Amino acid sequence: MLWAIGLSFTSYDMVSPPHFVGIENYQDLVGDPVFRETLVNTLVYIGGSTALITVIGLALALAINTRVPGARHCMTIMFLTNLMPIIAVCLVWRFLFHPYGLVNQLLHFVGFGRIDWLTGAGTAMPAIIIVTVWRFAPYFMVVFLAGLLAIPADYYDAAQIDGANAFRRFWHITLPQLSPIICFVIVVSGLLCARIFLMPYIITGGGPGNATRVLSMLVYETGFSYLKMGRAAAISVVLFAISLLFTIGQMHLFARSEETFR
Amino acid sequence: MTRRRTFAFVGRFLKLALLAGLTLLFILPILWMTTTSFQAGDKMFKLDTEWIPSVWHPENYSNALAAAPFARYFLNSTIVSAAIMAGNLVFGTLAGYGLAKFRFPGDRIVLLVILATLMLPLEVTLVPTFLVIHQLGWLNTYQGIAGPLIIDAFGIFLMRQSMISIPLDYIEAGRIDGASELRILWKVILPQCRPALAILAVFSFRDSWDQYLWPLTIVSVDRLRTYPLGLVQFGQDYGNPPTEQMAVAVMATIPVFLLFIVLQRAIRRGFGLSGLK
Repeated sequence: MLWAIGLSFTSYDMVSPPHFVGIENYQDLVGDPVFRETLVNTLVYIGGSTALITVIGLALALAINTRVPGARHCMTIMFLTNLMPIIAVCLVWRFLFHPYGLVNQLLHFVGFGRIDWLTGAGTAMPAIIIVTVWRFAPYFMVVFLAGLLAIPADYYDAAQIDGANAFRRFWHITLPQLSPIICFVIVVSGLLCARIFLMPYIITGGGPGNATRVLSMLVYETGFSYLKMGRAAAISVVLFAISLLFTIGQMHLFARSEETFR
Repeated sequence: MTRRRTFAFVGRFLKLALLAGLTLLFILPILWMTTTSFQAGDKMFKLDTEWIPSVWHPENYSNALAAAPFARYFLNSTIVSAAIMAGNLVFGTLAGYGLAKFRFPGDRIVLLVILATLMLPLEVTLVPTFLVIHQLGWLNTYQGIAGPLIIDAFGIFLMRQSMISIPLDYIEAGRIDGASELRILWKVILPQCRPALAILAVFSFRDSWDQYLWPLTIVSVDRLRTYPLGLVQFGQDYGNPPTEQMAVAVMATIPVFLLFIVLQRAIRRGFGLSGLK
């Protein structure tokens, strides 16, 4: 990584040796509308996906935790979405989002019109986020579920005796008890989303226009299609900075959990 | 009383129906992939998906295998993924044991550095990693594809966490009996880490099996391409029917699902879900 930071101050095409250009790469980036758009896309993507993964993951875990018969099998089946090869996921969803694909069929069934998901500038990014949530929410559902199972049943019994309704039990017992896990899920899914590459690359190719281009795609294109290694390194430093935020969060959580263990 | 019981029964039924509906929603794309892989090419985008093909077309599979060297691609993927999985299990166990059960000056710093550096995914360190592999002369080799992924922070961390709660007494007892550290690790520690090992095996296999960007970056000869490269190329080449793409996707999905099903029970324990009925 230090090498990448060093490289980001140079101009390097992998043929002639790198030569120092100072902060020129970064200056170029700041002035580059494609880079700015990509940066915004990446942040929107990370924010949207992380929020939805957390909420839906928790909701699914609560649904499984109602302990109806067969809940465990439902969990196992949902978890499969997390194991399916990502490339298969991308190809399948590209067809599902086809104007006549399954998503629109289902929407039509509940009374919506046809949506051109992948070619509409406003719907392409939500489509990518939907795929992301589909892929990762079941994994975090399992993480949440482990957290739910670890909450002592006495707490709920006591609350029930005090006459607290289901919502109040959730708000005053489940959420506070689960808060370290919620932090963990936000941080880990944020880190996962920061590195996303294949989904936009395969499903939309970054389009329409640049609507779904994310930083990791820009690193690859700049470095390996246009052979501007120095500039690519500068973009990866930006991506690194975003990941670092989540990594620091993770370290912080880790340090806290170590304290409770010792 | 009976009324209350009926009420509870209906409530339970509604919950079950809701859960089943959610599960179906999540599984639908996988079902779609499977059924489409047996479907006739012209039925792909009929307005209503035909969930059970009226005519089965298993030849989609043989056609796809004949249209591109997928057998070779799958072989490459298997070699690379097996190496990465094995590497993760071995290095994760050794490093995890060292970090969990030995106190040495700076052990926490080593742990934090491992976490901080290795937690950076390949997507972030793509450029410098490529330059390292380039200078090693490992472009277009198996060791080049597998090398950067063979040690991973996740494995080390997972193994450390699963070993840290094992009482030191067990290890001391082994040492008094004169067992070597490796023997203690093998006979005393590992049997208690099976759930963590199962999780690590499945996740490291899945991640390497999925790896696209890295082989794309360093492999330029067809002979060494892994199946994701082949499949994307297959999808981009004009005239390959989507049904055949789905057939390859199904073939790619089977190994991961099989590994998961075999190790399912240990994985559930590893996630702390053994209490769930």
